[in-house]
Amino acid sequence: MTPEALRVAIAEDSAILRDGLVQLLVDRGFVITGAVGEPAALRSSVAQNPPDVAVIDIRMPPTFTDEGLRLALDLRSRYEGLGILLFSQYIETRYAADLLADDAAGIGYLLKDRVADVSDFVEALERVAIGGTALDPEVVTQLLGATRRTDSLSVLTAREREVLSLMAEGRSNAAIAGALVISEGAVEKHVANIFAKLDLPVSENDHRRVLAVLRFLES
Amino acid sequence: MVEQTEDSEVRVRLGSREMSLAVSEAQMTATKALARRILREPFTKRPWSELGFFIVSGGLAGIGLVFVGITMVAGVLLAITFFGLAVLALSIRSARGFGGWTRALAHSMLGEKVDDPEPFAGRPGFLGWLQSSLRDRVGWRAVGYLALKVPWTVLGVFVAFSLWWDAFACLLRPFAGGNGGGTPVWGLVPSLFSGDSLFNGQSFDRGFAVFLLGFVFLFAAPWVMRGFVNVDRLLIRSLLGPDPTAARVRSLEQARTQTVDASAATLRRIERDLHDGTQAQLVALAMRLGMAKEKLEDADDVDLDRVRELVDEAHRGAKEAIAELRDIARGIHPPALDIGLEGALATLAARSAVPTGVSVDLRSRPTPAIEAIAYFCVAELLANVAQHAQASRASISCAQQGTWLRLVVRDDGRGGAQLSTVGSSSSGLTGLTERVHAVDGRLNLVSPPGGPTVVTVDLPLSP
Repeated sequence: MTPEALRVAIAEDSAILRDGLVQLLVDRGFVITGAVGEPAALRSSVAQNPPDVAVIDIRMPPTFTDEGLRLALDLRSRYEGLGILLFSQYIETRYAADLLADDAAGIGYLLKDRVADVSDFVEALERVAIGGTALDPEVVTQLLGATRRTDSLSVLTAREREVLSLMAEGRSNAAIAGALVISEGAVEKHVANIFAKLDLPVSENDHRRVLAVLRFLES
Repeated sequence: MVEQTEDSEVRVRLGSREMSLAVSEAQMTATKALARRILREPFTKRPWSELGFFIVSGGLAGIGLVFVGITMVAGVLLAITFFGLAVLALSIRSARGFGGWTRALAHSMLGEKVDDPEPFAGRPGFLGWLQSSLRDRVGWRAVGYLALKVPWTVLGVFVAFSLWWDAFACLLRPFAGGNGGGTPVWGLVPSLFSGDSLFNGQSFDRGFAVFLLGFVFLFAAPWVMRGFVNVDRLLIRSLLGPDPTAARVRSLEQARTQTVDASAATLRRIERDLHDGTQAQLVALAMRLGMAKEKLEDADDVDLDRVRELVDEAHRGAKEAIAELRDIARGIHPPALDIGLEGALATLAARSAVPTGVSVDLRSRPTPAIEAIAYFCVAELLANVAQHAQASRASISCAQQGTWLRLVVRDDGRGGAQLSTVGSSSSGLTGLTERVHAVDGRLNLVSPPGGPTVVTVDLPLSP
């Protein structure tokens, strides 16, 4: 738990889910600055009571297409350091690309299903709130499936691919180590190998290395 | 007993029966009007414009037939070369032009408005153009028109035009004397009245007879002329107007587009229902169970009340999700239809908020597609009744009429329902109309302000 409670704003048009999220986050000690059902309401909520992170449903009124995505891009350009967690029932790789166009800091894109694993979800939200990245495994799978760099990827070992995927999701070395049940030192070694094999620029920051991996997969 | 009534009608009473013997005033007026019309007809504008049209359009058709005929023969003779085919194509295209001019003439001189046929749509490239031209149905029908019109004009001139001519010849004869005023020499007239016996005498009686004959001709001519022109109108309408086959193809294409759009809209609606309803319910449900699970993990300090609350909410969510899924599935294919339309309509009526009576009279089961459309029509109409009509009663009737299934949904509400056809505001009724049109059915709405509203849907039993 963070020493100071993180402040969260929620835009989700399904009342059932919105109430559920509020319940869950309050339960976990977050402060809810606003829980609304449509984009304009979130804009004014964020302006009045700025949160650390906004959880935004992609499909919202009035057209139920990509309102949430446009709202996210707009809020990002206005409020520096505001974390955005996009929340959707489908993963559209193009949305991820739009969202991560220039920066992966403070960006999350998760399937709604992920709330079922409460701790993982809360961990991802916290990561985004403090400037990290949280990409849904589904996004990473799609990117890996669509990439034309299969030749380069084929030089990686199976374990290195696992590490690459988790890295692309935005996880820290410690989290990767926890997920794969290996030591953090081992993770560091894998990461160094991956960067060397793929000829990527080494970076300290978790979100920078996410961006590096994504650029590599997209190119 | 015989009595004269005021309207110059003679009534005969036989016991309690009454019979009308004489012509009533109305009939007499009608007879007078007819006589007046016959007498006035030669002096109105209409017969003259019809005569003018017949002569002018006949001349045009003559030129057209000669031109098209010559180019066509030339085209066929040269057909072994490419050039010949091109000439043939031009010939057919030119027939289209003559058809257009004839339509314009008919419009300006007869006031006969015939819609333009579909414009020529050549496929790209010279070969495409050639092929489209040679297979241009409109062009070929125009050729057919020219081929029929020319002999018809010749016959018309022979019969009707000569009647005019002879009418004047006879009328002028007593004044001009001798052959100077002319004798009936044209067309059929001389053969009907052998000229020698009637016209060559010099006596006053004969001269008077000829003069009278002239009158008869003068008043008969407009009607004979009209007969010929009316046949020509018919030819123009059927051969120079829009091709019924093409119109049929177009309406089918439209129906197909509507069907495709309608099914896309249906899929979108189902997706929305699943996304907003069931999926959201299940996510919330999973989330609550996830929270409960985490709370149970710390065995030493379990907040049982909170966990019970979460499980309770999840349980309720699961039941709601099941109910929503059932509704969505029913929207895709109503299970009630499995037992037949009669049972399905009875179920709909029973579920309706407004008390609804049902009568079904079907000798055989319609196809599943027609049954489904009938079902959704009634479902939508009953939903409209419940929402807008403020009705106290409604009724559904479903009966077989020949090869049609006739559905009638009636309510005693406030009426004023409309089929919105403007823009994309797709009201339920408009959606219904599209569904019904997709199978060549008809939907008719009668809803005067104040009610009652009656919607009649006719669906073909064998589409």
